[in-house]
Amino acid sequence: MELKEKPRLLITGAVIGVASVILTVLGNPQNMGFCIACFIRDIAGSVHLHSAHIVQYMRPEIIGIIAGSFAISLITGDFHPRAGSSPVLRFIIGFFVMVGALVFLGCPLRMILRLGVGDLNALVGLLGFAAGIGTGCIFLSNGFTLGRSSDETRIEGAAFPGAAIFLFILFLAVPSLFSFSESGPGSMHAPVVAALAAGLIAGMLAERSRLCMAGGIRDLILIRDYTLILGFIAIFAASLIGNIITGSFSVGFADQPVAHDKHLWNFLGMMLTGLGSVMLGGCPLRQLVMAGEGSGDSAAAVLGMLFGAAAAHNFSLAASAGTGPALNGKVAVITGLVILIAIASIVTVKERRKYERG
Amino acid sequence: MEDRDQKVITFHSQYAAFLFKKKYGGECSLKPVPRQLSSSCGTAAFVSGDVDSSLLGEGVEALYEKDGEGWRMIWKR
Repeated sequence: MELKEKPRLLITGAVIGVASVILTVLGNPQNMGFCIACFIRDIAGSVHLHSAHIVQYMRPEIIGIIAGSFAISLITGDFHPRAGSSPVLRFIIGFFVMVGALVFLGCPLRMILRLGVGDLNALVGLLGFAAGIGTGCIFLSNGFTLGRSSDETRIEGAAFPGAAIFLFILFLAVPSLFSFSESGPGSMHAPVVAALAAGLIAGMLAERSRLCMAGGIRDLILIRDYTLILGFIAIFAASLIGNIITGSFSVGFADQPVAHDKHLWNFLGMMLTGLGSVMLGGCPLRQLVMAGEGSGDSAAAVLGMLFGAAAAHNFSLAASAGTGPALNGKVAVITGLVILIAIASIVTVKERRKYERG
Repeated sequence: MEDRDQKVITFHSQYAAFLFKKKYGGECSLKPVPRQLSSSCGTAAFVSGDVDSSLLGEGVEALYEKDGEGWRMIWKR
């Protein structure tokens, strides 16, 4: 029998939480069993889009999530190639979602994993994330939408997951084509097979359950529904228990791995990521999953994130662990918030006029 | 799912869902789109009574009726 939605979300969250702890034990950086932003950033470095030597690796987890979602959606009939819902705006929003995440040092998923290890800077990030989602909800409830998508051909829908799988095969067959960190977070990784398996499982489960870090808070604010947030809570609980068992749990702001305690920028960075995620209709993890289901619009957002990650390191926007963001990063976060609010405002006004005209 | 949820309406935007609820008048609750209908995580309106065709305006995607454990599409834009 098909599992009901809430148990499915709880199981997905618990599996991802436990898998994150296992990946960390197997070699991934601390508190970084899974981090969509960090791993896309590592891939950007690996394919020479940026030259920050400590964050370059072809992370199998990302390929696994896309391929897992692609495979399960083909099997279950959820594979619906669609595109045409403001792809360029999605690329730009994806860009700033990544900038915000790299100023905080983690995507919303890693934010929860950081909370599970006792990193209180992630609590500041969570408040910012919720504030960004709340801001996005004001626009959503007043008419914001990026527009309808249209059906596409199956070859168009398969192109992005196919490209990701091709890139991974290339990485296995001719590794000399890629850059790999010799020190720093990029050099720390679980064995390829374990990382790929974890990504595949996470991608399949997230596709079936619609797990989304942003959707849970959005639904709680907009329609008082707590279904989606159950996945979020399960990840936290599983990660917390796993970290207590492995002895990694340590509460505090200071000396947390791959983190900084610049509260304002943790808050604003995740606010930017939260606002962008609501505008895109899902967090970075959800964008990977929807791209696997054949959404060209989500693929555009993922490419925006990839480009954003490269820019974050080429233009010194990303924060440094321990010291936080430099001036460039602070300016980029403020610029991102202004641009996203401007886009949301213009689209909302335009949509309201459309409804008023009937 | 509650017994009164006999029909479900899906939308192209959150705003369209809010407008529908406002105009519907009767018992109407907004919840995530049932997983059986879509892999997207948008908002759907659940109602028990009839849905007047005048309510199926801009932004409404489809109307489904309860059919055993599942849903049967009875209108789509």
